[in-house]
Amino acid sequence: MSAKANGLGRWYVIAAPYLWLLIFFLIPFFIVFKLSLSDVATAIPPYIPTFSWSEGIGKFISQLDFENYTFIFGDPLYVNAYLSSLKIAAISTVLTLLVAYPMAYGMARAPRAWQPTLMMLVILPFWTSFLIRIYAWIAILKPEGFLTMFLMKLGIISEPLQIMNTTTAVYIGIVYSYLPFMILPLYASLEKINPALLEAAQDLGSRPWRAFWQITFPLSLPGVFAGCLLVFIPAVGEFVIPDLLGGSDTLMIGKTLWNEFFNNRDWPLASAVAVILLLVLTIPIVLFQRQQQNERESGR
Amino acid sequence: MGVVTARDQQATNASSQRAGPRTAAPQSGFAPWKNPSLPPIVRFEGITKRFDDFVAVNDVTLDIYEKEFFALLGPSGCGKSTLLRMLAGFERPTQGKTIVAGQDISDLPPYQRPVNMMFQSYALFPHMTVEGNIGFGLRQEGMPKNLIAERVDEAMGMLELRQFAKRKPNQLSGGQQQRVALARAIAKKPRIVLLDEPLGALDKKLRQQAQFELMRIQETTGTTFIIVTHDQEEAMTVASRIAVMEKGVLVQVATPGDIYENPKTRYIAGFIGDVNIFEGTVSAIGDGCIEINAKDGYQFKTRSSEPVAVGQQVCLALRPEKIRIAHEQPASAVNAIPGKVEDIGYLGSISHYHVRTAPGERVTALRANAAHTVERPISWEDGVWLDWPVDAGVVLTG
Repeated sequence: MSAKANGLGRWYVIAAPYLWLLIFFLIPFFIVFKLSLSDVATAIPPYIPTFSWSEGIGKFISQLDFENYTFIFGDPLYVNAYLSSLKIAAISTVLTLLVAYPMAYGMARAPRAWQPTLMMLVILPFWTSFLIRIYAWIAILKPEGFLTMFLMKLGIISEPLQIMNTTTAVYIGIVYSYLPFMILPLYASLEKINPALLEAAQDLGSRPWRAFWQITFPLSLPGVFAGCLLVFIPAVGEFVIPDLLGGSDTLMIGKTLWNEFFNNRDWPLASAVAVILLLVLTIPIVLFQRQQQNERESGR
Repeated sequence: MGVVTARDQQATNASSQRAGPRTAAPQSGFAPWKNPSLPPIVRFEGITKRFDDFVAVNDVTLDIYEKEFFALLGPSGCGKSTLLRMLAGFERPTQGKTIVAGQDISDLPPYQRPVNMMFQSYALFPHMTVEGNIGFGLRQEGMPKNLIAERVDEAMGMLELRQFAKRKPNQLSGGQQQRVALARAIAKKPRIVLLDEPLGALDKKLRQQAQFELMRIQETTGTTFIIVTHDQEEAMTVASRIAVMEKGVLVQVATPGDIYENPKTRYIAGFIGDVNIFEGTVSAIGDGCIEINAKDGYQFKTRSSEPVAVGQQVCLALRPEKIRIAHEQPASAVNAIPGKVEDIGYLGSISHYHVRTAPGERVTALRANAAHTVERPISWEDGVWLDWPVDAGVVLTG
C-alpha cells in the first residue's frame, strides 16, 4: 500500500517538470509550427488556417505544402540572416570567452574570503533591467557619447568614434550582457582544480605558462564548453541588442523575424523562421545537455 | 613517577618491525653522516620561515647525505612539511640557504630544481592516463618519444602498473594511485625524491606494504629519499635517520635506534614508543652511575651519559620492555619497586602489565610470552616486583 503510494508520489514529482514543458514549450511550439504551415491573409489574425478540425486531417495532409520553408531557403536574405547570426554569435562567444577567462581565473585564485564578494560583483548587473543597461550603452557609444568625449579629452582621438549602429556595437553589447553566463561556469570549473596539480606540474619541470596550458586549461574545458554554449545559444536569436545598438548592416535572424512579424505582418513566414531557428539551435543545445550529463557522471 | 602509555598497539608494531627489516637491511653499515669528508647532498643552512608573525621553521641547520632515506618526523604543524616544500621550491625561506649537491638553489624556481615530489594528495593529473602522468616530467625535458616510452615503462614495471597504463587516475584504487604518484616522482630519475605524507591516505595494512615498497624502490634506484611523516612507526620502519621536529625546531637527528634508545628530550621519548618517566633529583654521582631520589622515596641507580650535577632535577625514562616483572622480590636487583597489577594488555606475542606502584602512579612493563604455558601466570591484583639494571634507563634533563 505504502509502496504504491510512494510510487505514485514519485510519478507526480517526475511529471511536474514534464507538464510544465508540455504547457509552456511543446504546445506553444506546435501552435507556432501549425502557423508556419498556414497561408498569409489580410485578416485578424492575419492568416488562413490550413488545418481545421472540421475538415479533418486527411484534407490537411493532402493540402500540405511547405511553401514558407521553401521560400525561406530560396531567398538569400533569410539564409544570409541565419549565417550572419551564427557568425556574430560565434565571434561574440569567442570574445566573451577571452574577456571572461582572466576574470574567472582571477576569481578562482583570489583569497577564499574575497570570492563571494567577487561573485556578487559579477551578478550585480542583473539587478538592473537588461533594457536600461543596453540604453546606457547607447549613451556611451554614440558619436557625442561618453566614450568619444573621454577619448577626445585625453587627446587619443580627434574625430568622434563611429561605433554606434555598427556590428562592433553589437559585439560590445553581447559581450557585456552575456559575460556573467561565461564567467560563472568558468569560475566553477577553475575553482575545483586542486592547486597541488600546478605545483606537481612545476615540480616536474613545467614552467608556469606551460603548466597553465597543460593542466589548468584542459581541466577548465568543461567550464569553457558550458559557458560558450550558454552565450552562443541565446546570442544567435538575440533581438534587442542588434535592434538598439546595431545598424542597417547588422543582419541577424532575430531582427528579421521581428520585421516579418510586426512590419510585414506575415505570421506564417515569421513562424517558419522561428521553427528553423529552433532546429538550428537544437544541435548546440543537445551538445550542452550531453556535456552537463558527462560532467555529472564524472563528478561522482 | 609518571607513565606514558597512550599508544600501546603502535609501539608494539614499531618495535616488532624494527626487529625485522631494519637489522636485516643492507644499510646496517651505511652511515655517511659519520664520515666528515663526505659532502652532504642536501644542506639546510639556518633556514627560517615566517608566515606573518608565525614562525613555521626556526633556524634549521641540517645535512642529508646521498642514498639516505631521511625522515622528518613530528606532529602536524611542527614545520616539517614547510621545510620539505622549501626544498621543492614552493615556499621561499625567510632566512637561510638551501644547498643541493654543492649548489645554492635558494633562488631557483621549482621547475629548475633537481628534486621531484610525491604529494600527500598524490596530485595526479585527472585528464591524463597513468602513462601520461608518469611521462609528464620527461616530456617537459623534450626527451625523444621512444626514450620517454622506455623510461615510463621502466617505472611502471618497477611499481607493477603496466596493466593500468591506459587508465585514468579516477579508475584506480587508492593504493594504485599512490604507486602512480611514486612512479611519476621517480620517472625523471631525480637525485632527491621528496615524499610528503605519502601513505597517509592508505589503510593500515596497505600502508605497511607500501612502506616496504618505498624502501625497495629507494634501494634499487639508489636515490635519496626525504619523507615527511607524523607516524613514528612509519619513520622507524623506513628511515636511515630521523629528524624530530617540534614547533619549528629540530629537536634530535639520529638513527631510529638511537632515537628510541637515547631520546634527547622527554618529548621525543614520549613521541616515539611508550615510556615510563620517573622524576627526581640527582643525589649522588660516581663510577659512571648516578643516583636519583625519586619523588616517592625510591632511590634509583642508573648510568648517565648526560652531564648532571648533584641536586639537579632530572627524569629517568624507562622503556616498558626493559623492566622485568616477577612475583618474588629479586635477590640482587639494583633498582626494584613493588606494586600491584592493575591491568594486563594481552597482545599474543607480548603482554603489557600496568602496575600500580603507589597511589596514582602506574608503571608499564612488557614481557614476551615466550613459554607456551606458564605455571603461575601473573594475573590481575597480583603483588609483583619490578626491577631493571643500571643501563636500562635514559636520564633526561630536558
